[in-house]
Amino acid sequence: MASLPLLTLATFLPLLGGLLLMAFAGRSTRAAHMISVATTGLVLMITLGIWERGTLPGAFAQVEEVTWIPSIDAAFRLGVDGLSLPLILLTAVLFFLAAIYSMRLSDRAPTFVVLLLMLETAALGTFAALDGLLFYVFFEVSLVSMYFMITGWGHEDRQRAGLMFFLYTLLGSLPLLLAILGLYIASGTFDMRAWIDAPPLAGLGAMLALAAMLFTFAVKIPSFPVHTWLPAAHVEAPTVGSVILAGVMLKFGTYGLIRFALQMTPEAFAKAGTLILIFGVLSAVYGALVALAQSDLKRMVAYTSVNHMGYVIMGVAVAGMTMDSNMRAVALDGATLQMVSHGLVTGALFFLVGMLYERAGTREMGDFGGLLGRLPWLGWAYILSAFASLGLPGLAHFPAEFQIFLATLNIQPWATLAIVAIAITAGLYLRSIASVFLGTPRDRWAAMADLDGQERLVIIALLVMIAAIGLAPGILLDVIHATTAAM
Amino acid sequence: MDMAHNLSLLFPEMSLALAAFMMLVAEMLRSPRLALAIGLIGLGAATALTLQVLGADTSVFGGTYRVDFLSGWAKLVLLPGTALALLLVRSELAGRPREGSVYSLMVLVTLGALMLSGAGDMMLLVLGVVLTGLGSFALVAFPRDDAATEAAMKYLVFGSVTGAIMIYGLTFWFGGAGTTLTSALAGLDQSPLIAIAGLIAVIVGLGYKAAVFPFHFWAPDAYQGAPVSVAAYLSVITKLAAFFALAQTLRDLPQNSGWPLAIAALSALTMIFGYLAALVQNQMVRLIAYSSIAQSGYLLLGIVAVGSGALALPSLVVFAGAYIAMNLGAFAVIMIAGRELRDFAGLGRQAPLIGLAMLIYLLSLTGIPPLFGFIGKAYLFAAAMDAGYLWLAVVAIIGSVLALAAYLRIIAEMYKPIPADARTLPRPDAALFLVLAATLAATLFMGLFVSILPG
Repeated sequence: MASLPLLTLATFLPLLGGLLLMAFAGRSTRAAHMISVATTGLVLMITLGIWERGTLPGAFAQVEEVTWIPSIDAAFRLGVDGLSLPLILLTAVLFFLAAIYSMRLSDRAPTFVVLLLMLETAALGTFAALDGLLFYVFFEVSLVSMYFMITGWGHEDRQRAGLMFFLYTLLGSLPLLLAILGLYIASGTFDMRAWIDAPPLAGLGAMLALAAMLFTFAVKIPSFPVHTWLPAAHVEAPTVGSVILAGVMLKFGTYGLIRFALQMTPEAFAKAGTLILIFGVLSAVYGALVALAQSDLKRMVAYTSVNHMGYVIMGVAVAGMTMDSNMRAVALDGATLQMVSHGLVTGALFFLVGMLYERAGTREMGDFGGLLGRLPWLGWAYILSAFASLGLPGLAHFPAEFQIFLATLNIQPWATLAIVAIAITAGLYLRSIASVFLGTPRDRWAAMADLDGQERLVIIALLVMIAAIGLAPGILLDVIHATTAAM
Repeated sequence: MDMAHNLSLLFPEMSLALAAFMMLVAEMLRSPRLALAIGLIGLGAATALTLQVLGADTSVFGGTYRVDFLSGWAKLVLLPGTALALLLVRSELAGRPREGSVYSLMVLVTLGALMLSGAGDMMLLVLGVVLTGLGSFALVAFPRDDAATEAAMKYLVFGSVTGAIMIYGLTFWFGGAGTTLTSALAGLDQSPLIAIAGLIAVIVGLGYKAAVFPFHFWAPDAYQGAPVSVAAYLSVITKLAAFFALAQTLRDLPQNSGWPLAIAALSALTMIFGYLAALVQNQMVRLIAYSSIAQSGYLLLGIVAVGSGALALPSLVVFAGAYIAMNLGAFAVIMIAGRELRDFAGLGRQAPLIGLAMLIYLLSLTGIPPLFGFIGKAYLFAAAMDAGYLWLAVVAIIGSVLALAAYLRIIAEMYKPIPADARTLPRPDAALFLVLAATLAATLFMGLFVSILPG
């Protein structure tokens, strides 16, 4: 049993499920949802097994390797460390919950499920890949599924939003391909472990590669000023699409920022650190300010992603600038934990906003009022998630943001001015709670029903994890720290 | 080297020539099916015989004809590609008069393509251009209507002029090198002006055949005037042959003549122009024609690196294989769905499998992983960067985004609701089905099993 290739299994099981569905289940909605929940549930169990097997300090664990193109030393290489393992677990959790939530979907459900499962394979593969070419394959293939999710099941202006999403992010990711090819030409292998152990590029080459990677990951994260695709894509995407986009796909960018930019071009990264930090601070503050200006709940949550991802950029930037390995580990711990926390919290918020939209047909804050009395489940879940998102101690974002700001204060104190963004975020969430859930109830929504069993299950699961990370961040931090301490 | 050994290295070409003439006989006997069968057998035999000489790195007939890595793999790409194109013709033109002559002409043109891919001598280059050209003009004119005749005339006149320019320019090389062997071009490093004069001529002559900007004018008209299956054939076989010939010629030309820069500039212009023009087409054949022009620009990325990097020749071969699969596949779907963009409205919902196939071809043409087209483009990008042309790779990624914009117009059309006046689609016959299955399998899986190709 110990030798089962769990990573490969977890990565390709969703694809297999999708193929089975296409081949046998045809047009049956019920069968599609059953396959979807069963597959993602099984994947979640396998990733728990991967978690159980654990990581190694200073190296990749559970490495699986199969030859692919020997002449250029590109191979099918998977493995985990403390950086990727929490993200793999996050991916499995969110996809499982997304599969449960989408059971209510009846419009072309089999196709939707196939896209969802393909997307899970792409996401798990992106985090587990240890081969540059393979990483790029997974990284890019996710775009196709997401494009069809947006254009097929999105809202009013979905064609335009899907087009913009696909073109924008393709333009964003192609520079990474050049950087990967540059690393290959300099080293003669696509093995990411070799690139991390002995960064092959130096001088101008490293700087160009870093610039290409930063562009790619900045679009993906998204960082100011290349974030403009995000609100459009989120607003038009179906609920599950938004959850996956914000919860999982944005992490491709921050994960790549650490894995590629920081680890493979460390010297260039240290030189460009200040610039990267500035973009992080700008994203955090700008994201919060623009979120404050939104009246559409979903747009607001989308912009808070720009804000939260800004903190991650800050954490990675200061980690790259410091010589103090303790502080570097603190910064990276915070950044990695922030990715997981954001996945859970923003996932919950997008689910809740989607549930509200499904009931009301609108997401304008001004249209609501006093909903807490009528929909206590939805109301309290939103309030709790909002508090988590604004960084309340005891909930998931607090330990992450605390460590990021602690490291920033130590390394580049001026950058802690981004802390104003936390105040702004607090303000905008309190305002949204006040206008949607407090105040006088409106007759218009008198018939609105509270969350049903399925919805409660999804939300409770997320809230429990949010509280668990907030109260006992050590569950994740131990694994993360074992890797970051050796970096 | 003795004559018998020379001849044994040429068995693939000989079997193909034999098949072509037997096909003419079959056509005289009014049996196009026999002609098709002979053609397929001949192509299969030539492929098998190529496998026997693969790995050879030599030349025959005093260095005029190369039997090397590139010519071997070129055969393994072009011969199966021709077989698929024959099946497309069968599906489209079965029962039409002169059907069998189309098959034999195509096999003859492919013979010319093989000669181009192995050309080690300027005269052989000319011969290959003429052989592929004459057959192609006749193929385009096959329908005998106004559009086809006009397209063939344009093609012929343009081809004659560029051919004449090429022959004129080659005389400079002959004068400078003292021989028509292209391997002697390395001696031109002291006389860059002569090298450039010949280079321009070769770019004009082969660039026309390859449909490289600004020698592409004929291509959209010829593809549109010709039967769809013939357009599919011309868009892959003769085009790729021109690139193989270009690689065989330029690899020996001294770098100090500046030819890589000239090719790089053409590459950038061709990629960008092709996709910008494709963006505004409403006619599927023309859209794919302009996309084929843009793909020529990508092939030029590999040409730029010929002579300076080990990745150049493998990148050309890998992308050529991908290009044949995805372009023939896209043309096969056009044969089913129709020649206009609006014919594709709702295709993905009306015929999900055919829509899915088209989607995969288009994503592969864009270069989305893990499809074959992506692996091909990754090789080409790596080859260009290895040769020091990073800026060209940057232009190429901008081109890829334009490509996506152009192809998404088709994809968006395919997944619209089915229009009320949608006609029922013809069921693909066995030949067409075979082409779809083969090209789809190659596009989907060859990216994963690319290690069986050279590298």
